[in-house]
Amino acid sequence: MALTRREFIKFTGLGLAASSLGMLGFGAAGEAQAAAVRPFKLTHATETRNTCTYCSVACGLLIYSMGDRAKNAHSNIIHIEGDPDHPVNRGTLCPKGAALLDVVHAPTRLKVPRYRAAGATEFKEVSWDFALDRIARLMKDDRDENFVEKNAAGTTVNRWTSVGMLAASASSSETSYLTWKVVRSLGMVVFDNQARV
Amino acid sequence: MRQFEAPPSGKWTGPNHAGVKAPEPIVLADPATRFAATAKRLAKLADGHPMEAWLRFMAALAEAQHAVATTLAPASSLNTASVAQAVNARLPPLAADGHERDPSWREGLASLLDHIERSELPPAARDAIEQLRRSDAAALDKLADQFLRGGLSAADAAAAVYVAAALQVYFTCSAARLKADDLRLLEERSLCPCCGSPSVDGLITATGVTPGTRFLFCSLCSTAWNHVRAVCITCGGTRRLSLHGIEGDIGVIKAETCGDCHTYAKLIYQVQDTQVDPYADDLASLGLDILVTEAGYARHAPNPLLLVGDDEAVAS
Repeated sequence: MALTRREFIKFTGLGLAASSLGMLGFGAAGEAQAAAVRPFKLTHATETRNTCTYCSVACGLLIYSMGDRAKNAHSNIIHIEGDPDHPVNRGTLCPKGAALLDVVHAPTRLKVPRYRAAGATEFKEVSWDFALDRIARLMKDDRDENFVEKNAAGTTVNRWTSVGMLAASASSSETSYLTWKVVRSLGMVVFDNQARV
Repeated sequence: MRQFEAPPSGKWTGPNHAGVKAPEPIVLADPATRFAATAKRLAKLADGHPMEAWLRFMAALAEAQHAVATTLAPASSLNTASVAQAVNARLPPLAADGHERDPSWREGLASLLDHIERSELPPAARDAIEQLRRSDAAALDKLADQFLRGGLSAADAAAAVYVAAALQVYFTCSAARLKADDLRLLEERSLCPCCGSPSVDGLITATGVTPGTRFLFCSLCSTAWNHVRAVCITCGGTRRLSLHGIEGDIGVIKAETCGDCHTYAKLIYQVQDTQVDPYADDLASLGLDILVTEAGYARHAPNPLLLVGDDEAVAS
């Protein structure tokens, strides 16, 4: 058995006795430490990076959650702070970003699509299928009605100017690329890839 | 919208404390305070600690290191050209395993042994001092090489602590002669940019211009270097990182475990205790190491003052 200062190591009761601590005559201290820590449990938090959802500045976040994403474990976000390594914000957050934990846990947070039919007073929860079908239907109807294929001079322009779209602020380059492709292929010109608020 | 005006010069004109700043990539240790701070913190942590006897010994060892670092200050004399050559090749200029040691490190060791001998020691610790005193220069250098490059036999574990302590002083004093601006982070970010050694742990700062950043502390030359947080320092993984602490404590020390490579590295949160010392707090938190090991993780790299045998380690 060799000692090393570079390889991975594991601390066990047996290992400590043969360690430099044991060999110097402090074996009892090692045993006392192993016994003292025995009744305690480990706490556990998951650490992940993310981007603030609020605006196009896109500050970096560190998010801490309980639960290890194992089977049957319920995950719960416990803390959000600015990412000190992110070149945009270096750990700082604006008041809205600093309150993100409350946004995550807000009882009024929208988690499913809701629909208020024309003339109705209340929103009611609907399925994603219903919401997507409804949006597609309305977009199709409006595009069929207002699509501009040629301008006054007869040049082909393929514009759809009567509907616009705002995309999310925390979108990656890939998300932006896909958003652009979807929206522009319909001829939509009133479009911002990142919500500027 | 501003148009047709002179373009902004790009220079910050507000107060100095405002705006976001990048952290210093490399911070070299000051030999005048490095070991004294560790000794002071160890003495404080030792009170009522289950490992009090050992921590007091470690405090005495750090005191002896401080005495050597501030009097003899054994160090190599690297010329700027060889430093620049190594840095350009993205190699550590003081590479622990390739560097040709100045013989003064042995004088440092002798002086260290003289100092540590004055404190109360168990017989085994005294025997190790005698063993080193009986060894000739060649034997001491062989022991140092084995410690630095691997292949140290378990029988030398006790003597290796004094050798490691003397080499820490030697490398810390050598690193202090370099300029941080001349150095560059290695591509392997978990290794010291100065000597290529692994870190003892990481400190999450709470003060300075970039609070909240992580600095890894070299186990040999005491250099601190910036490392991105929430990234496994062993494999670079980010997907399955967890922070483990001991239930009920105030959260000064946590172990960052990686579910991909099953290793961990300790993090010390300065915001919870401004008096922390990365070297002292690592030794005093052995209980966390034991619990995290039981949970199935291996430590990134050992503290050189607490070497543990490993069956998988390859003896040369």
